[in-house]
Amino acid sequence: MRPSDCRVRVSPGAPTLKSLTPAGCAGRPRRAVFALVAPALLAACGGPQSALDTAGSDAATLSHLFYVMLAGAVVLWLAMNGLMLWVWRIDPRPMPPRYARRLIFAGGIVFPTVVLAALLSWGLSIMPDQRAPGDGLRVEVTGEQWWFRVHYWPEGATEPVRSANEIVLPVGSRSEITLEADQVIHSFWLPSLAGKTDMIPGRTNRMSMEPTEPGEFRGQCAEFCGDSHAWMAFTAKTMMPEEFDAWLAAETGPAAQPEGALAEAGREAFMAQGCGGCHAIRGTPARGRVGPDLTHLASRLSLAAGALPMTRAALVRWIEDPAAVKPGAKMPAYDHLAPDTIEAMAAYLEGLE
Amino acid sequence: MPTRPVEDLPRHRNLFLMVAAPTIWAVHFVAAYATTAIWCEKVGADTAGLTWLVTGYTVAAEALIAWFGVSMWRQWDYMDDQDYIHDGATDEDRREFLGHAGFMLACLSFVAVIFTTMPVWLIGSCA
Ligand code: HEC
Ligand SMILES: [Cu+2]
Repeated sequence: MRPSDCRVRVSPGAPTLKSLTPAGCAGRPRRAVFALVAPALLAACGGPQSALDTAGSDAATLSHLFYVMLAGAVVLWLAMNGLMLWVWRIDPRPMPPRYARRLIFAGGIVFPTVVLAALLSWGLSIMPDQRAPGDGLRVEVTGEQWWFRVHYWPEGATEPVRSANEIVLPVGSRSEITLEADQVIHSFWLPSLAGKTDMIPGRTNRMSMEPTEPGEFRGQCAEFCGDSHAWMAFTAKTMMPEEFDAWLAAETGPAAQPEGALAEAGREAFMAQGCGGCHAIRGTPARGRVGPDLTHLASRLSLAAGALPMTRAALVRWIEDPAAVKPGAKMPAYDHLAPDTIEAMAAYLEGLE
Repeated sequence: MPTRPVEDLPRHRNLFLMVAAPTIWAVHFVAAYATTAIWCEKVGADTAGLTWLVTGYTVAAEALIAWFGVSMWRQWDYMDDQDYIHDGATDEDRREFLGHAGFMLACLSFVAVIFTTMPVWLIGSCA
């Protein structure tokens, strides 16, 4: 049916308006809106950053809780509206006060008390599991403005494996996550794997995560922390244990050597421009700890805490003017450098797998 | 309406008695949270003693709330005339209104104090 079929044409001697309206037109606008919105709404339930599309046992518990509450809410909604329909439309007649009072007592006092007590017991009984102690790997994450400092502490390590803006976890075991913050409060939230926990300056909070499936995910700072709070995200990967061990071994190693003249020139420019005062690249003189560790930058799924894709063009854009990408970013702009120099640095960084 | 005269005493006009039960609920809430915070900081992970302590607060709070609840129920005097609308400008209406409201607040507070204590019983750890 074409939309024009729904328009009512009035011609001389035409029958009533109602009979002119083709069947199916009455509900059209609403149905059209629903048809447009529903896929968007459903699509929002999936994806790399959804508490309903889970890949970890804690997130699975939470989404189960959500669906049970949702089902309960739907049943209650139908029951309440059904009751209203019944007493106002279907069978409107006065009720003896004695019944009315009993109904209020049962439905308004006993029922909510029992339901709330049951929900509270259930919620409290699953809460401790969400903070169960980790066994094995510990990951220490510090919220900075506006990025995540990430240190891996495998069992028995005396020094951490330093990284940033990406969390990699093994599938099938519970990793301990300790959370700190530098200047202001942030919140660490990786919805596909677990609930969120605040990062508070001067305090070490902890949580744990037990990935159940390998995959790539996105997390987000969930507590307003300044200008670029919305740009403070991170990526996450979960891997089968053997794969994780191989990844950790590679992550522990030094950075790749530049390949080709352009990357070689980029490396020299990087050292000459003093980038190493803020950034560390293991195996080079760059040892700064102010900004994110760049040793294996190019192996991450995104650049600058989820703000940009990991491409050369994005690296150029970032180095030229970080604050143009992330307002207030605490890295100086280098747009005074020759475009060739920036391009070379980007080529070098792009090779740091 | 009045079937037998009841003397209207000062306590029958006392607003504070009506809100006594929720006040106990509030005090219990603060005491339970403060005790837990201090215990977890100073004593540590062994929470058996904490559970008993907070349960003790709860028993004491519930006893007090129950006592106020009963006295409010008497003040409402429902069984006498089954009266639950108190919109007249009379001593009796004021007395029964305060009793009625105080009784219901006591019931709410009684349940709420149990809800406040449930985390200690069901989680029982500092995590
Ligand atoms: C004053 C310290 C400082 C200097 C100097 C500095 N940076 Fe940065 N850099 C930072 C900070 C802080 C961030 C994180 C910003 C954010 O994401 O909000 C960062 C982020 C980055 C990132 C993204 C890292 C990631 O994990 O995605 C790259 C790449 C980078 N800087 C390259 C450079 C290069 C190249 C230079 C030299 C031309 C340089 N930086 C100089 C502080 C600095
Ligand atoms: Cu933040």
